[in-house]
Amino acid sequence: MSIGLSLPDARARFPFLVVVEAEPEEEARLLERLCDWCSRFTPLAALDCADGLMLDISGVAHLFGGEAALIEDCRARLASQGITVAAGAAGNPRAAWALARFSRVKIAPEPMSDKAFARLFHDMPLAALGLDEQTAADMARAGLRRIGDIALRPRAPITARFGALPMTRLDALKGLERSSIKPRFPPPDFCAERRFASPIQTTQAIEASLRKLADDLVALLERQAKGARRIELALYRVDGRVRRILVGASRPLNEARAIVRLFTEKLAGPDEDAIDAGYGVDLMRLACLSAEPLAPSQSLLERAHEAERAHALAELLDRLSARLGTRAVMRRELIEAHLPEEAETAAPAVLKPDAIGFTRGMARRASSPTRAALARARAQALVGEDRGGGSRRPMRLGSGDACDKFRGLRDPPPLPAPTRGGGCANVIEAAEMQARLRGESRHCEERSDEAIQESGALAPGLLRFARNDGSNGAPARPLRLFARPEPIEAMAEVPDGPPLRFRWRRVLHDVAAIEGPERIAAPWWRSAGAPTRDYFSAEDTQGRRFWLYREGLLGRETARAKWFVHGLFG
Amino acid sequence: MSPGGGAESVARLKRVIAEIEAEAGPARERAARRLPVARAFDSALGGGLADDALHEIAPAQAQDGAAAMGFALALAARFLVRRPASALLVSEGFAAEELGALYGPGLVAHGAPLSRLVFVRAPDAALAFWAMEEALKCGAPAAVVGEIWNLKGYGLAASRRLLLAARKGKVPALLILASAYGQAGRLSSAAETRFEIAAAPSARIPAAAGLDLPGPFACGARLVKARLAGAVDDRARAPKGVFKDARLTTGYGARLEMVDDRDRQARLEAHDPERVIRLEWRSQDLAFQDRTFNDITFKDTGLDDQAISLPLAAAAGDRPRAAASRR
Repeated sequence: MSIGLSLPDARARFPFLVVVEAEPEEEARLLERLCDWCSRFTPLAALDCADGLMLDISGVAHLFGGEAALIEDCRARLASQGITVAAGAAGNPRAAWALARFSRVKIAPEPMSDKAFARLFHDMPLAALGLDEQTAADMARAGLRRIGDIALRPRAPITARFGALPMTRLDALKGLERSSIKPRFPPPDFCAERRFASPIQTTQAIEASLRKLADDLVALLERQAKGARRIELALYRVDGRVRRILVGASRPLNEARAIVRLFTEKLAGPDEDAIDAGYGVDLMRLACLSAEPLAPSQSLLERAHEAERAHALAELLDRLSARLGTRAVMRRELIEAHLPEEAETAAPAVLKPDAIGFTRGMARRASSPTRAALARARAQALVGEDRGGGSRRPMRLGSGDACDKFRGLRDPPPLPAPTRGGGCANVIEAAEMQARLRGESRHCEERSDEAIQESGALAPGLLRFARNDGSNGAPARPLRLFARPEPIEAMAEVPDGPPLRFRWRRVLHDVAAIEGPERIAAPWWRSAGAPTRDYFSAEDTQGRRFWLYREGLLGRETARAKWFVHGLFG
Repeated sequence: MSPGGGAESVARLKRVIAEIEAEAGPARERAARRLPVARAFDSALGGGLADDALHEIAPAQAQDGAAAMGFALALAARFLVRRPASALLVSEGFAAEELGALYGPGLVAHGAPLSRLVFVRAPDAALAFWAMEEALKCGAPAAVVGEIWNLKGYGLAASRRLLLAARKGKVPALLILASAYGQAGRLSSAAETRFEIAAAPSARIPAAAGLDLPGPFACGARLVKARLAGAVDDRARAPKGVFKDARLTTGYGARLEMVDDRDRQARLEAHDPERVIRLEWRSQDLAFQDRTFNDITFKDTGLDDQAISLPLAAAAGDRPRAAASRR
């Protein structure tokens, strides 16, 4: 029987043939699972083609009583899972591969003499070099069938005729060529493990072992004055399943208690299943996947307290992230984006450990860029430049020429962050700057109003912005934003004018004060033909403020105006 | 000696000190500081909001959730000025869906420094309370703001837990009871203070034509509960020992408590829990401007008659029960 034989032929030859459908994906998954399981022997376990595993056992074999004992242990454990293995051990991956597949002798002597090499490998077929079929067939036609046939011949003619591959492979087999394996998981920097003669099953026992493992790991870390940033707990079950639990820390951790607490929070979290020990766990390994040097401890006394607090905050965020998920504990930043819903980004707080706010100095330094960005955005809003749909500016107030005079405002010097209790000169400067900007903005508003009246882009007197709230004329932004804008019924005096009253969530609101419109066009370079929005901030008679918008330019983009509530002001 | 020997011994010493501290308690003790809110409330609050207690904020009506959040964030922004640390905003997932998620640019405009806020989204109320409690206990944040919709599990026990956590960590907790609109007077909890917040017309800016322009954020605030009104002085005057004695000798104790009560009563009388104070938030000064509705004279604000009386009048129209409780 051989590969490629058709099923009827095979059935004819062997009437009692058992046929099982091939499931390559399922097999690959099984092999991956086995590979995970094999990492109990060594952290460097790799998949080898579609039908093998390669373990780097250098430096670990003695833990199991030698290579022979290791192979026997592996074979016996896998046999109990119903898997038969052929294993080979040698000084390099290629030799081990060849031994496992083509030899009765499974363990190559180390170091290997030429004589021993000849005895072991010279009789093997050339397929043991892992050559492709075509090359192997060509060589067979030339009378080269065994490894010995090419090993004892001069290299040059063979390389000239069959390419460099056979000889390179031969060198690899001899260990003259450096060859490496690709482990499925990167080897951890530090790792501590515990094996149990009889598998443990209870959660308490697992937790107790985790505590001891954490102690061991911390001892290892302390030796190099490092702390763990990413820690993985692997539970190897008797039935071959491996459960891996990964936790992250926002600062290098070197306290056993903190590590254990992270794992308990993670396991108590809603996304994580509880530990299912099954028939028992016979090996637990706590591995530190990435370690960082510990920050030098604070020597100044007055900074010690703040550092301690920063420390406590980092620990808190780690715990919250472990339980609620890293995506549930976020820090945010403003970005200069066109659409209001894209004006901020969020990143998990665990990934941004040094975010701002740990010390007073840092907070100030970090907050000034955002203020500068805001000031720039405001200035851009004032400039109100550009015509047509290609606007990258957040606002288009009317015809382009109206505000030409104020283009110089586009990049004003950033406003200094307000300093409290110090930096008097800065404060005055900032106040002056704000006053100036406010003055300019009022001027700009008048100008653009005029321009609009002239150009007739919008009905006269409709464009109004409040400048009183210290926002330097920035269009107001709401405190809360709906992920999906909620449609409302609105009534307006003129079709493209501001709304007079609207109904939202079944309640009628009469508009008492209104600001707008602020026109925001969809980015044409991403979605052609997306409707333009005219935003208004409207206050009803009871003082509730809404951020409304009308979708689509009347007459040009849409025949009937659709209104939405996009946010609420606090 | 190994290269890490120094670090190893330092780490060992740290552990020893931590053990000693765990036995003997933390070395530093700090008295509660009070954050002034507005002139009208501060006397009733004994100088301001304690920064180691639980403060509840309830919207007056269903649609005042945004105003309640605005008030809470304003307080948080003021607490943030006091301590160079981050603040935690914990919200229950449903509240964010119902009322909209907090929006960065709006927060910045409101006066809250975005870089010093950590946003925590909890899938349900129980986990949100857990997150708040953990944050309060560890003492690291400058303030913890929670927004909870599902108040089924919230009562005396849960609020007491939060209060104790706040005491332990000396961190102020601001809890927005998002679904408890109109119930501010009826809730029972261990919180130190409770505010009822309603939206209020802003000081509008007259426009050349058409409707006015809206002004800065304003809200009507009512201090429904101030449990420890004036208690700062009591604590200072009557140390624990005296109360112990008082319990032993009944006659003396009764007299002592009576005096105490009368004193507190006198101070409470100054505060009228039914009075709605109009607070206007100045985000660039991080300060409230307050005026009671009764104080407002029409001339000096430029507000017309209708605008002033609205929050109360509207409440009467919308919710007869709430109006009844407010007289």
